[in-house]
Amino acid sequence: MSSHAGPIDHHHDHTTSTGIPNKKLFMWAFLASDCMFFGTLISTHLIYRLHPPPGSPDVKSIFSIELTSFSTFILLMSSLLMALAVNSLQKGQVRSTRQNLIGTIFFGLIFLACQVYEFSHFVHEKGLTLSNSIFGSTFYVLTGTHGCHVAIGVLWLVLMYIRSFKPADADQGRAWLIKGFFHLIVWGVTIVASMASMLGLVHAIQVGDGFGGFLHHHPVEFGVSILGLIVLWLLSRQEGPVDFGEANAMDVESMGLYWHFVDIVWIVIFTAVYLLEYL
Amino acid sequence: MASHAAHSPAPHHDEHAHADAHSEGKFHIFVQIAMLLAVITGVEIVLIYLPLTKWLIVTSLVVLSTVKFMFVIFYFMHLKWDKLFCTIIFFIGLVLAGGTMWALLKLFSAEASLPLETAQAALRALA
Repeated sequence: MSSHAGPIDHHHDHTTSTGIPNKKLFMWAFLASDCMFFGTLISTHLIYRLHPPPGSPDVKSIFSIELTSFSTFILLMSSLLMALAVNSLQKGQVRSTRQNLIGTIFFGLIFLACQVYEFSHFVHEKGLTLSNSIFGSTFYVLTGTHGCHVAIGVLWLVLMYIRSFKPADADQGRAWLIKGFFHLIVWGVTIVASMASMLGLVHAIQVGDGFGGFLHHHPVEFGVSILGLIVLWLLSRQEGPVDFGEANAMDVESMGLYWHFVDIVWIVIFTAVYLLEYL
Repeated sequence: MASHAAHSPAPHHDEHAHADAHSEGKFHIFVQIAMLLAVITGVEIVLIYLPLTKWLIVTSLVVLSTVKFMFVIFYFMHLKWDKLFCTIIFFIGLVLAGGTMWALLKLFSAEASLPLETAQAALRALA
């Protein structure tokens, strides 16, 4: 696929004045600016927690440390899979890269589902909304912004996964574009249906209906999820050479930097927003 | 290039072998670090339930979070293997963010930052 004679040096680019690939340099500069963005959101939350106005809710009775700990483990493991995806592509192993990308997408979606469940639980069961207390405002803005970053990361991962199927034959470009768009639509529908199914299943288990009750109340979501997964499996069985390999490792690495950044922001949020409330 | 390859095939072979060994080594490093991060997270959760003084728990949590943070940026994000300039550019953002957080927390903790009614009530209590 690639025409280079020797192995690619993935950490140094001798064609740039800094010796760093431009995509990587751009991503690090962006992440540095995003640090300041999250820094202000975290400090705003901490200021109001250190000086709570009268009538602030009892946060310990609202939070669920079990759910948040689970989310944290999931995000850490997704970071591992992302690092393995980059490592695989640096060795030119496209199949392994795809598997690790799917694992990262899956764990990212579990994290998002946990956050949707958490927000829904807080609003409907605990009465904590965006506007009824300063704690609610700063908490939802901070964790919601982080959730948006995760959602953007998942979208980027899906696009990269679809990109990995681009055929090496340039004549198939237009056909691949249409197929790629269809692939993206199937991913979108499957993700939405799976998330709805997952939340429906959790709710059914909580109210004691079990899997039978879930199927009775959410047959469409479950059916679309299964159908979507089958179509995605069929789409992934494309044969033939692809225009995706070791030379694209920098694209995947840039995406990986973004994903790991989302993870390190959560490391700080987990301690500053959740754990410190239990002291 | 072709003539170079024809005259010296061995160095390319060695470079490939070296790169493969390097990548294989990284795989094990990544898995070990992920396990370590999971264990540290577990320790953090246990820590908040231990009957220790508050300052000790807060300090431990900050240290453990910093360790997790550093492992992710230096290993998963490859800063350990990349040029130093990447580390510098990221730490510029990190230091500015940390400085802003510290300044905001100090400013809002100052007595002058108290809402007027609260400050007047505090003064009345003192009198």
